[in-house]
Amino acid sequence: MKTFSKLVWPYMAWITVFIVAPMLLILLYAFTKEGNSVLTLQFTLNNFTRFFSDSIFPSVMARSLKIALMTTLLCILFGYPAAYCISKLNDKQQALAILLVTLPMWINMLIRTYAWRGILSYFDFDSEIKVLIGMVYNFIPFMILQIHTSLSKMDQSLIAAAEDLGANKTQTFMRVIFPLSIPGVIAGITLVFLPAVSSFFIPKLLGGGDYVLIGNLIENYFVSTGDWNFGSAISLIMAVLIIFSMFLTKRIDHQIGEEKE
Amino acid sequence: MKKLVKILAAGILLISTGCSSNEGSSDVDPIETYGCDVINVYNWGEYIGEDVVSNFEKTYNVRVNYSMFDSNEEMYTTLLGGNAYDILVPSDYMIERLIQEDLLQPLDKSKITILDDLAEGVLNKPYDPDNTYSIPYFWGSVGILYDTTKVDPAKVEEMGWDILKDTEYAGEIFMYDSERDSFMVALKALGYSMNTEDDAEIEEAYQWLLELHQTMDPAYVTDEVNDAMINAEKSLAVVYSGAAAYIIAENPDMAYFEPLQGTNLWNDAMVIPANAKCPALAHEFINFALSYDSMMDSSLTVGYTSAVQSVVDELGSEGGDFYGNEAYTPRTGYEKDEVFTHNEVLKKKLSELWIKIKVS
Repeated sequence: MKTFSKLVWPYMAWITVFIVAPMLLILLYAFTKEGNSVLTLQFTLNNFTRFFSDSIFPSVMARSLKIALMTTLLCILFGYPAAYCISKLNDKQQALAILLVTLPMWINMLIRTYAWRGILSYFDFDSEIKVLIGMVYNFIPFMILQIHTSLSKMDQSLIAAAEDLGANKTQTFMRVIFPLSIPGVIAGITLVFLPAVSSFFIPKLLGGGDYVLIGNLIENYFVSTGDWNFGSAISLIMAVLIIFSMFLTKRIDHQIGEEKE
Repeated sequence: MKKLVKILAAGILLISTGCSSNEGSSDVDPIETYGCDVINVYNWGEYIGEDVVSNFEKTYNVRVNYSMFDSNEEMYTTLLGGNAYDILVPSDYMIERLIQEDLLQPLDKSKITILDDLAEGVLNKPYDPDNTYSIPYFWGSVGILYDTTKVDPAKVEEMGWDILKDTEYAGEIFMYDSERDSFMVALKALGYSMNTEDDAEIEEAYQWLLELHQTMDPAYVTDEVNDAMINAEKSLAVVYSGAAAYIIAENPDMAYFEPLQGTNLWNDAMVIPANAKCPALAHEFINFALSYDSMMDSSLTVGYTSAVQSVVDELGSEGGDFYGNEAYTPRTGYEKDEVFTHNEVLKKKLSELWIKIKVS
């Protein structure tokens, strides 16, 4: 194993340059005053007090969290049965079904969202409903794939054992299959919730301009307003919130794991 | 499998020979003449004739990297990000800013051959008094586009911008998702200058827009307003004159009006950034894009009013494609019309207020 450990270096270099360094820059911008020159660096907490002193910004954040949560729930609601049904098929059919789930991803997400804009323009839906439809459509494959992986890897003898011990179908599902698929659901939540909470082009395209989420806010402060400091502060607040919610899901995952034992 | 490889190889061969024969279409050696054979052009989306770039490439035996932006601010951010361009097409106030920040290079007027073709009204504007840095490309105004089958022209003319708050048309309005254009409308409707720095006036304009947002349920859009208005999806839209000319040409039920409360007159001009890698060729691009043939192509395609007078005369006169299309020849010389000036503090303030309006 040790002989291969050097192979990790290209990836380490990659994340240092493209992930760690930009994160540090965001951190720096978030805590400094305007003026992008290094020589005139002035530290401040103003960007953060500004965020929380105006009810607009927290309300946009609450709206983002709400729609991401709704997206995640709907993805579980529709994705779980789909993944379950797929895992019951034979190998060949499963491969085909998984192919069908991933097929739309062969086309760029942006183009598919534009297509949805065309479709949704025929309906008189609320902006929020339109955005929700777009998000669930875009992110549900991640949920299905994760749940399907954990369901299909499941030790089938456990189900046979449950049936042997007199459990009916519902009991087998509730007490054996579902608990064992929780890791897949948790992984799915991570993969759906994260992009949903920070998405900016789906609300921009489907929400009709006046549906602002946190991603749009960040984009606006970087591109349109040119206030990189405040934009960075919003990004940082968002990042902290995401880390916190990930920590929470991990905890839930652990607790369920312990209960099982 | 072998067959497939053969077909692929043939395809690649075809493409590569196609390219090389293309390169041989002109005898000019651009490297010798201009020192380079690639330029990077950064223009607005849907803002040039379909063949202008490819014709330029063929004529000068060069390659053009053509990219597009949605807003002046987006262009500015990309530029600050260190991207080197040879040609930009910003608006007046943004050119003013770029000049102030030393991001442009003075043009070599001896190399600009089309200066005499330009309309008098577009030259020597306050944003670049002697056109040291910029050559005007398109210009126009902002006004109200309305469906004459649903809205009485007399009413639009009487109410001007205030028709946007007439609840009879609630849910029937398109506006640009832009703080600059929206606040311009509000400030003009209230009788103020759109370049005001007076906090009380800005607050009043904010309340005006907030009320519009809450009572009229407007849709904030960008370029998609063109197709939507051609299909008469709504009765009223605040649009740029060129967009209006394009829409009216496609749907004659539409009409364009510049409110008497005054409006924004804007200019988009070609500039060469200070860090351009191929300024000599960039000068040629300006000459080419503003030549009569290219400008006819561009103006016809996008509907905007050309800075080249002969093109406007041709397209706007009897028999021309935009004859009788009031949006193609925007109003000039009206005292209440203004040009935007660059004001960083004001821009930030309006940007934040605009978000608040949209979120509320």
